[in-house]
Amino acid sequence: MENRIIPYKMLLKALTSTQELVERILPENGIPSLRIGLKYLKSVIETTIKKAGEGLPIVGYHFALPAEYLSCFDCVPICIEGTSYFLATLLLGGVEKYYDIIGNWGHPFHTCTSQKGTMGMTLEDLFRFDAIITPSAPCDSTCGSYGYFKYAKKFPTVIADTPFLNEEKSQLYYAEEIKRSLINLGKLIDQEPDFEKLRFHVELENQVLKKKTEIFELIKSTPSPIENMFNPVSAAATIFTSGTQENLTFYDEMLQIIKKRFREKSHHGGEEHIRTIWPYMLTFFDISFCEWLDRELGLSILMDIFNYNFFEPINTKSNLDEMFLGMAKKALGFPMVKQSADFYYPFIYDCIQMAQDYNVDCFIYTQSLACKQFGSLPNILREALKDELGIPMLIIEFDVGDARMTSLKKFKEKINMFVQTLL
Amino acid sequence: MNLKDDPFLNISNSIKNPYIEDWHTSNKKIIGYYCTYIPEELLHAAEILPYRIRATGNKDTELADTYMVRFTCSFVRATLDLALKGVFNFVDGFLICNSCDHSRRMFELFDLKVFTKEKVDKKVNRFYLSIPHIITEEGFNWYLKEVEELRKELESAYNCKITDEKLNHSIKIYNQNRELLKDLHKLQIQENPKITGTEALQISMANASVPKEIANEELKRILNELETKEEMDVSSKKRVILVGSVVDNIDFIQLIENSGAFVASDFICFGTRNFHDSVDMDHDANPISALTKRLYYRISCPRMMDDHENRLNFLKKEIKNANIDGVILQRINNCDLHGCDNMLFTHELKDLDIPVLNIDRESYQADTTRLQTRIEAFIEMIK
Repeated sequence: MENRIIPYKMLLKALTSTQELVERILPENGIPSLRIGLKYLKSVIETTIKKAGEGLPIVGYHFALPAEYLSCFDCVPICIEGTSYFLATLLLGGVEKYYDIIGNWGHPFHTCTSQKGTMGMTLEDLFRFDAIITPSAPCDSTCGSYGYFKYAKKFPTVIADTPFLNEEKSQLYYAEEIKRSLINLGKLIDQEPDFEKLRFHVELENQVLKKKTEIFELIKSTPSPIENMFNPVSAAATIFTSGTQENLTFYDEMLQIIKKRFREKSHHGGEEHIRTIWPYMLTFFDISFCEWLDRELGLSILMDIFNYNFFEPINTKSNLDEMFLGMAKKALGFPMVKQSADFYYPFIYDCIQMAQDYNVDCFIYTQSLACKQFGSLPNILREALKDELGIPMLIIEFDVGDARMTSLKKFKEKINMFVQTLL
Repeated sequence: MNLKDDPFLNISNSIKNPYIEDWHTSNKKIIGYYCTYIPEELLHAAEILPYRIRATGNKDTELADTYMVRFTCSFVRATLDLALKGVFNFVDGFLICNSCDHSRRMFELFDLKVFTKEKVDKKVNRFYLSIPHIITEEGFNWYLKEVEELRKELESAYNCKITDEKLNHSIKIYNQNRELLKDLHKLQIQENPKITGTEALQISMANASVPKEIANEELKRILNELETKEEMDVSSKKRVILVGSVVDNIDFIQLIENSGAFVASDFICFGTRNFHDSVDMDHDANPISALTKRLYYRISCPRMMDDHENRLNFLKKEIKNANIDGVILQRINNCDLHGCDNMLFTHELKDLDIPVLNIDRESYQADTTRLQTRIEAFIEMIK
């Protein structure tokens, strides 16, 4: 039964070997976010595999649907986009093989690698989904690629329609869409959604929010009390472990470390020279890059798109409609959905605000090749930052998950040269 | 009769046309839009000319490249380029919807970079329509409210009243327009056709650039003239259907028709997708509701996530109706929606033993030799 989710078994092996390396090689205090993150991610993946072994239904979900929303079912939640990128991060050879498999099947080269990897894996029958649930946000790649799962692989697929423009009517509509989708998903896997159980897990995430909010308040200080590696690990935690006790414990332990560093005014890389915000993503095909930035350049990443994820705590004490409304608001504000389900104006405004709050020297915008929804943002954001604050922004085009599309050497050179102009 | 030199068809070769100037002279407004999911009839009822934005003839995207990365659609980039050069300054408003990631971002770019106070000495109103990505009852209700809100916004922005009576009148004119286009389409798909695929595209593009009353008169005239036209013998050519991204210049379709094929039908948004379905006024007394039903439930574009089966069924029917020998699937580079839909079509059509060619291209004619080689090889391959 476990072989219905072979890539998760690959993930567990990769996590285990990475964890062993970290434990054996790094000093006791070295990169705590990686050490702690690996521990809890591994725990959640182990549980997922165990559930698959018990024969529970395999449910693929889009990363833009907060994972805890599936906790109303006894199922095996599999993040479609997260699998591609997490394996791209941890496997030495990456997952380019799977991008090629689906590419050879005819999938357009310009779509998002976050889906391509898992699509290639399903073409090889490495995943056998009983059902898939996805929002229609955040992008064309989602709208297009999920057709493959639904029509070519014939996986029963539930779609929650994400309205454009985050306003009251959209929140009400999306609340109904999420509820309808969960009920329909339940029919596909022959389960009644347990919304009382959902309350508990949503509440857990409310507690996570408190921790994260505190963490990001502390990160405003100089020097930044957190290493850059926290960003990709936190992204992985959000996508894979939301709604679990492990997620709460991860952020709680991180908060204690960050508080300590804040008190000691210590910086992971030794000395902080440059404070940056990355309004898009980091490289997932090589996260050692984070350490290079910390240690070689003294460059701190204070915020990236996956950590730019704050929402009003969801009201779990009132009626179900209220809870679903809160869930809809959260989902509409989820990383990438927030930007795609609205005009650029609030995002640009937030970037300007964050630049001031976090006292940053510059922005580094990594434009992923496949991400068309952001394709007309970089220059207007750059102009806004320059006009409003006089802060420069470097734009680098790359593919988040495909190492072949980007020379890491050139990537580093660009950043190095850019940083030299600021020092 | 030679349609090649017909003045109506020639409207398709340029962005502006004399009817636009006449319209402005009458002190009436024009709204630019991209997508066939907008309710044109509503604009018409407000005495506004809906003008479908295109980039015909523009191969330059230099100005637009400043604001749109090179991995975006060259059609949309080319339209933005023209807009930045002031070519669309004749519009008095623009209406954008979330058709695709590329075109929906034109709202912000037009707002911030094109129709600014510094660049345009008139008020250009901005409208946005949010369209669901799946087809459900809830989705229909959402869309209906959006169209109702748009009605109020238009009334407020242009100080007019869009009555049900006016709207019913507009729907009749648009339904007639679609019927006329269908009549022309019949002359294209018949065994010995009277119009080519290139001419059909030109008619469709011109049709989207002029007031519908004029378009209807012109379409009637062309149909009358075609009655006496001799049928073409295309028996030596392979009959193909063109499917996929927007085609807004004739170079590409001419390339196909010069490569030994006859484009007997299409499934593109300047073609059948735009006129296949009419507004059903017999079963809905509320014109806004009837109008929205047509927009929502008509044969869809791949932006509708859960409607691929209907698109495939439409394609299969059209293959039969037009006696098609082969299918040419095409997409503008970086179009994920058509790229993914075409991928599915490729496998589905191959399973039905229908010859299929799947190509990518730029919006403007580029890479001609590569495309021609592939198309010719495909035509030769068809038995």
